[in-house]
Amino acid sequence: MKPIFGPRTEQVLAFLTELWNLSPEQITEVSRAWRKANDLNRAEAWAQLQRAASRNERHRILAAAAVARRQAMDVAHLYHRTDWAFWAAAWDAAAAIAADDGKSQRYEILTGPLTTVLSSLSRERGGAQVPAQRGKRRAEARRDKGRATANSAQGDRARGAHQQ
Amino acid sequence: MKSRFLQLFEYSPDAMVMVDRAGQIHEANNQAEQLFGYGHNQLRGESVQRLFPGQSVPLPSGLGPVERIGRHLDLVGSSSDLRQFPADVNVIPIQTERGTANVISIRDITDAQRAQFVLELGLDTYEAADLDRHALLDHLIRAQEEERGRIAAGIHDDTIQVLAAANLRLQQLRLRLADPEEVGILDKLEQTLRIALSHLRQLIFDLRPMSLQRGGLATALRAVLEEMRSDLGISYRLDNRCTIELAPGTAALIYRTAREALVNVRKHAQAKTVRVQLRDVSGGCLVGIVDDGVGYDPAEIEERPGHIGLSLIRERAEIAGGWSRIESMPGGGTTVEFWIPHHGVPEQPEARHDPAA
Repeated sequence: MKPIFGPRTEQVLAFLTELWNLSPEQITEVSRAWRKANDLNRAEAWAQLQRAASRNERHRILAAAAVARRQAMDVAHLYHRTDWAFWAAAWDAAAAIAADDGKSQRYEILTGPLTTVLSSLSRERGGAQVPAQRGKRRAEARRDKGRATANSAQGDRARGAHQQ
Repeated sequence: MKSRFLQLFEYSPDAMVMVDRAGQIHEANNQAEQLFGYGHNQLRGESVQRLFPGQSVPLPSGLGPVERIGRHLDLVGSSSDLRQFPADVNVIPIQTERGTANVISIRDITDAQRAQFVLELGLDTYEAADLDRHALLDHLIRAQEEERGRIAAGIHDDTIQVLAAANLRLQQLRLRLADPEEVGILDKLEQTLRIALSHLRQLIFDLRPMSLQRGGLATALRAVLEEMRSDLGISYRLDNRCTIELAPGTAALIYRTAREALVNVRKHAQAKTVRVQLRDVSGGCLVGIVDDGVGYDPAEIEERPGHIGLSLIRERAEIAGGWSRIESMPGGGTTVEFWIPHHGVPEQPEARHDPAA
C-alpha cells in the first residue's frame, strides 16, 4: 500500500473508517469537547507539529487532515449536524495521527475531543491503532481476563482493555 | 453443526482448504480446485506448500486466545500450470474430532492489486501536480510581493516626485498671477494635484502598508478595520496581545493574510461585528478573525471552484510553514484562524522610507 499519508497511513485510514461509525450523539459530544478545549493549547500543539515536520511531511499531514475533515463533514451532514467543531476535531486528530506515534502531549491535545468517543485513539493505549493491533489487544485482554478470575483488581483492568 | 460447517466450507465464495498441523491438505472446496487448476480431490493429501511454493505458511499448533483470532498472510499462489498470482490468505484454526486443524481461505487479489496500482499511479500524478501547484503558488505569492514593492517604489520615486515638482511650480506661478480668475483656476489645479497625490499615497499604502513599518501589524489592521467601519458600519474589536516585534516580511505576510479574510467579511459576511485577535504562540503569531455574519456551508462552497480568497489564506500560511483553519456554518458566522512562525518567511528587500507620505 502506498503510504499516501506518510508512515502512519494505516492508522489514518483506520481512523477515517471509525469516523463513519459515530452516532449523532457522539458527534455532538465531540463538538462540545472541541469547543470546551483550550484553543491556545491546540494552537501550540499545531505549531509544534508544524515545526517538527519537514515540508514533505507537512504536506502529508495536511493531506490526512483535509481528508478527515471532509469525511467528518459528510458524516455530520448525514445526521444533519452542522456544528463545524466536529470536523475541526477530525482535522486536528488526523493530523496528530499522521504525525505522531501517539505518545506526545500534542497528540493528546489534538485527539482529545475525539478520544471522548473513540477510546482507540487514547494515548494510554499507544495512540491510534490499525484493526489488526486492536485484534491483538482484544486477545491480550481476553487472556488477562482469564487469568484474573482469582484477582478482581486484575479482572477490572482486563475488562477495561476489553472495551476497546 | 458439522454439516452446516461443511456447507459453509463448500459454498464459500473464497477458495478454502483444510489442513492438519503438519500442513497436509485434507479437504479443498471447488473454488480452491478451480483457483489452483486441480481436478476434483486432486489436492487432497498434498502439502499446502504446493500452493505457495518456497513460502512459509505458519500454522498454529494450539487454540489459545491469540491463535483463535487467526492469521492474515500476503502470499504468492501458484497454480498447477505454474501461473502465479498475489493471494490474500487467512489461516483460522479449528477444533475437529482429530485435534486441531486449520482452515485456510485464499483470495486471488490480482484485480484488486491492479486497481490499486492504477490508483497509486493516479495518486502519484496528483501528488506531483499538487507539489507543482504549491511551488507555483509559492513563487506567485513572492513575485506578487516583490512586484508590489517595485510598483510602490516606482510611484514613490517617480510619479509622486513629478507631481511634487509640478506643485512647486504651481506655487511659483501663483506669485506671478494677479488676475483673481486665473488664481481661481490655479486653486482648482492645486486641489486636483492634491487629490492625485492623496490617491497615489493610498495606492502606495495598499501596495506597501506604511503603518506596518511605523506602528506595526496591529496599526495596519486597525486602519483596514476603521475603513470597514466607516464604509459599511461593521463594528470591530481588535485585541493585540503580541509582544514580539515582527520582521517586516512576516508582518507583511500576516497583514496580507488577515486582510484577505477581512475582504471576505466585507464582501460576503453581512456581519455586524468582527473580532480580530493577535497572540504570541510558540514562536509565531496566532491570528483569529471571527465575524457574526451569515456564514456559509463549507461542504457546498468548498466544492465550487473560484474561492481564491479562502485558498490564498491557506496557501500563504502553509507556504510560511504555518497552518490555518477556516470554518463556518450557515447563520453561524465565520472563523478564520492562522498561525505563522516569526522566522518562517525569507525577508523581503527592505522597503524604502516614503518622505512624500
